[in-house]
Amino acid sequence: MTSPFTFWDARTAEEAATLLSKKGAMALGGGVDLLGEMKEGIRSPEHVVNLRSIPGLDRIQKAERGWRIGATALLTDIADHADLRKDLPGLAEAAAAVATPQIRNQGTIGGNLAQRPRCWYYRSADFGCVKKGGKGCPAEKGENRYLAILGGGPCYIVHPSDCAPMLVALDARLFLRGPAGARDLPIADFYDLPSKNALCEFTLKPGEFIEAVEVPAAPSRSTFVKLREKDSFDFAIAACAIAGKIEGDHFTEARVVLGGVAPIPWRSASAEANLLKNTIADAVEPASNSAVEGAKPMSQNAWKIPMAKAAVAQAIRSFLPR
Amino acid sequence: MPADRPEGLSRRDFLSVTGALAGAGMLAGKSSAEDEDLRKAGGGLGPAPVKFGLRVNGNDHEVTAEPRATLLDVLRDSLDLTGAKNACDRGECGACTVIVDGKAVYACMMLALQARGREIRTIEGLAKGEDLHPVQAAFIEKDGYQCGYCTPGQVMATVALLEKTPSPSGDQIRAGLCGNLCRCAAYNRIFEAAASAAKAK
Amino acid sequence: MAKRTLRVGYPGNYREVEVDSPDAEPAPWDADSKLAVVGKRSPRLEGADKVTGKAKYTADVKLEGMLIARVLRSPYARATVRSIGFAKALKMPGVKAAIEIAKAARFQGDPIAAVAAETEAQAEDAVRAIEVDWAVEEHVVDLEEARKPNAPRVQGGKNPNERGGEAQNTAAEEACSSALKKSHATVDITFTTPVVTHSCLESHGSVAKWESDGSLTVWDSTQGIFAVRDGLARGFQLPAEKVRVLKEHMGGGFGSKLGMGQHSMIAARLAREAKAPVKLMLTRKEEHLAGGNRPSSVQRVRAGADKEGKLTCLWLVSHGTGGINGGANCAAPLMSLYNCPVRRVWHADVMTNAGGAAAFRAPGHVQGMFALEGAMDELAGKLGLDPIEFRKKNDSNEMRHAEYGEGAKVAGWEGRAQLPNAGGPGKARGLGVAASIWGGGGGPGAQARCVISRDGAVEIQCGTQDIGTGTRTIIAMIAAEELGLKADQVRVKLGDTTLPYSHGSGGSMTAPSVTPAVRAAAAAARGRVFEACAKALKGNADSLTAKDGKVVAKDGTSISWAEACAKISGANVSEQATRAQNFKGYRDGTAGCQFAEVEVDLETGHVQVLRVVAVHDCGRVVNPLLAESQINGGIIQGLSYALFEQRILDDASGRMLNTNFSDYRIAGPKEVPEITVVLFDVSNGRTNTGVMGIGEPPIIPTPAAIANAVAHAIGKRISDLPITPDKVLAALGKK
Repeated sequence: MTSPFTFWDARTAEEAATLLSKKGAMALGGGVDLLGEMKEGIRSPEHVVNLRSIPGLDRIQKAERGWRIGATALLTDIADHADLRKDLPGLAEAAAAVATPQIRNQGTIGGNLAQRPRCWYYRSADFGCVKKGGKGCPAEKGENRYLAILGGGPCYIVHPSDCAPMLVALDARLFLRGPAGARDLPIADFYDLPSKNALCEFTLKPGEFIEAVEVPAAPSRSTFVKLREKDSFDFAIAACAIAGKIEGDHFTEARVVLGGVAPIPWRSASAEANLLKNTIADAVEPASNSAVEGAKPMSQNAWKIPMAKAAVAQAIRSFLPR
Repeated sequence: MPADRPEGLSRRDFLSVTGALAGAGMLAGKSSAEDEDLRKAGGGLGPAPVKFGLRVNGNDHEVTAEPRATLLDVLRDSLDLTGAKNACDRGECGACTVIVDGKAVYACMMLALQARGREIRTIEGLAKGEDLHPVQAAFIEKDGYQCGYCTPGQVMATVALLEKTPSPSGDQIRAGLCGNLCRCAAYNRIFEAAASAAKAK
Repeated sequence: MAKRTLRVGYPGNYREVEVDSPDAEPAPWDADSKLAVVGKRSPRLEGADKVTGKAKYTADVKLEGMLIARVLRSPYARATVRSIGFAKALKMPGVKAAIEIAKAARFQGDPIAAVAAETEAQAEDAVRAIEVDWAVEEHVVDLEEARKPNAPRVQGGKNPNERGGEAQNTAAEEACSSALKKSHATVDITFTTPVVTHSCLESHGSVAKWESDGSLTVWDSTQGIFAVRDGLARGFQLPAEKVRVLKEHMGGGFGSKLGMGQHSMIAARLAREAKAPVKLMLTRKEEHLAGGNRPSSVQRVRAGADKEGKLTCLWLVSHGTGGINGGANCAAPLMSLYNCPVRRVWHADVMTNAGGAAAFRAPGHVQGMFALEGAMDELAGKLGLDPIEFRKKNDSNEMRHAEYGEGAKVAGWEGRAQLPNAGGPGKARGLGVAASIWGGGGGPGAQARCVISRDGAVEIQCGTQDIGTGTRTIIAMIAAEELGLKADQVRVKLGDTTLPYSHGSGGSMTAPSVTPAVRAAAAAARGRVFEACAKALKGNADSLTAKDGKVVAKDGTSISWAEACAKISGANVSEQATRAQNFKGYRDGTAGCQFAEVEVDLETGHVQVLRVVAVHDCGRVVNPLLAESQINGGIIQGLSYALFEQRILDDASGRMLNTNFSDYRIAGPKEVPEITVVLFDVSNGRTNTGVMGIGEPPIIPTPAAIANAVAHAIGKRISDLPITPDKVLAALGKK
């Protein structure tokens, strides 16, 4: 049971921005992540602003610039969209890899991109930590088997989204709306490392919310691989999103982004370099090895290094002719 | 149990320094005059109990509940539809699965207010009088349960799966039912029931 | 007592035994009995209620004026309450009662206080408003830390955290060293298993209502209505007949619901205080913290065998914790499964500041079998013997020998040597085997009443409970068999302490304990019907039979069941019977074995169980459909234990971290293997039905068989459960 709150139906994006400017207001998409935090007692907004009441905010459409997906589009509808599947198979795969059918039927793309981490210390009201405005990270000397091997400190969460790494690989842009109007930015710039901001993984100004995501029209190949401990339902132990162009037996453009291993979607320049300078078949080993360059495992999570490599290797192999 | 709550931060304070799902304006306070405007516009509901309508199994109901009530709370407590169960309260087990606008959802993780104006189907609305839905009949025939606690959720998830994928493969059945746990582990027979109901249709 | 000769055994191996069975009981069924209802696949009688949502569980009970309770539980692994204030909480809207429960917390989740309010939200808000001044004390949750002499004493005072000793009749240490020294091959392996929680989908819970006459009615999600009744009667110093406990349906019982839980007392105390009915259902987090668990184990196994492959010595030193209480012993399989001249067991329960243990489907056996059968496979390897051949050399149970034979055929044991390479690139397959051993013969004392009305209606009344095993259905089938009717013509009333007594549903005891009483009661009531209608059939009562819905005389003339019952004088006939002692019969206990085939991803360490072949016996199989469901369930729970489940505690705070179902992983649809069940129908001649229990046997061998299959696949033994990818990667040298 959550704390009490006032519920608002936003009728337009502008109204949503105004409502979200209220003190203690939070945006509600599908609600699965927010209600989870509220039920745990780690978040108690005074105002909950429903975005799904905004007509058309759930539209998935192909335009000249590429695909535009409204923030409240359901993950199921992205995964099942026949045309999008053809153009952006990796995004459909990532959306389909999220949680369970029920969560995909409730969860929105906006909520998926702005969901909060699953670190069990963070999710429990019994613990204080730097991400919750306290001091230190209890996982450092505690149970950290699922936490970050890359980019961690002073908080070691892994970004839980499956769609985020894929959209970074696809070079998508996020369209944000706030009281001061609209702005857009590359999705990679949406996410911040905890060394920059330990309190929150993403950069939204007061009153801002995600209105849409746009994926450029450039013809591309894409794939998403997610490794879980339990296949039926799990967050990624490691995931790999690759998007690029292939000519013959090699990539001419490639973006390699890891999920589940760092506090933000983790783009690996050296994996990309290795992918570009080899044939696809020959790139598997150097690219997967280099993807985890600089990994600094904690006391219990060194096993995520071979998992991350495996995710990259599987993603690259999926482009090989069968 | 606010034990190790970050030093000196109350529940609300703690909020104000952190981010939010899909955006939140925590720091800027709007004038109360503007608040009033919005209230007049008819937007704000609660936090006290509010009256609203829900369409469940083809019938319109008026219910009174706090905005924080989930769809599951309202189905079970206000409408006495106790088929859907609360087993995890976090959208992780599927015992509360109902169908909203044709899609299986976790009623424990959806606010009742989010279900306004939508077509809600629960296990109680599945049979036509004494005539069981083919999925229900198949669960009985194949013994697709043991204790039966997860069964309403399993049945609804199966119905939603077959409405979307009328002739599912074995893998599609497993994938389609991934959101439902059965601790007695009747899974194999739930799969058989789903396959048999698909054929029966 | 009547002497009766029965044909007992299993297909292909029958013999005759003479048993003494009570005169009043019908002749025991044996291998030659031709039965019309029993033994057939029949859907559950309550099926329609379960698939339509009509089935009412404790969580669904709603009474006029009922309040909802919530419990304040300790956020600390160990603390005392300096002071507690309810004033604020009691002033909150809807709050009707608040009670104090304890002044000290021994684990995170220990109940301290509780409130009852008109709604769940109000109760939760009120719990948050209770003011507690905590004095936090030093805790210990780590198993090894708790064993140290300077560790905080979990139970206070001078009680040591570790309580152990030698098993009774155990061999001396010297005898073992000498036997191991003389052995041709030996192994010495330490196996470890985690604490896992029952995770019943319906949490523990009660609805308590005080009646105007001072009696108490409680609906409880329990496996033992009489245990709850007696516990409440003791707690409130009431005569037992002043407490009535009801349970029509319950959402999962794997042992932790056998006794009365604290929640039942809390609900009843609040109800008395508030003068209104109170419902208390535990949340998922509370369930993980305080609902019971299967204790952990650290088992060092040493074993030796001679050149011929005969065991020379089995040695076990183990310790484990279930938190604040004991129950971690897992020596039973090692002590009972194989023939071995020298056996030694030393075990210690270790107390820690964590939620306590409760019986969990085959207590001790699941952990113990994992260790024993792992050691047996390793020893077979050293001896150069086939794992099944090695087992058979040391196992004198002819039934299990036959089961190994059947299972090996179905599982494709012959092709096992080639299997590791059969998975394709980057994958390795393996096939493992393990044995089961359990009692399951039931015991005396259960009672049943059969009431046959003048209109032909039949009702069986028995204070047992159907916890999802199908008890309701098999009771009806047994009675229907005896009365020549169909199962759905028998109404079964259970789950109510005003009915004739029966035991808690645990230990695989229910079917073997209840069915003989049901059959005896039905036979006795049928005798009364025969007496009533004998005249109409111009015969004497002894010569009549009930068959196909008719009562038939020796000369073949018959009348319908309804016509026969119409001859009853008065409203009905009612006969009660009590389950007798087991006869000597064929053999005690159930055997069984399982084969697991796995595929290991060598890159990710992911283990997929592809197939399990399960060969089991449970005496006479009343309803194969239901027996197979029990076996499927045991296997998948065993798989979940082998690969996923573990309670994860934070050492520094003593708190459990994975108190939900995403971080506490339970096998779901994609983890489920193909399962082939082979049921041996055994005539055991030990009761008038010859039925045995099958709840526990199928979970016992599964983790062991899976671990053995993984070892076969990758050539390395992982002796620490659960077998998660990190451990597989480490075994493969990839970590």
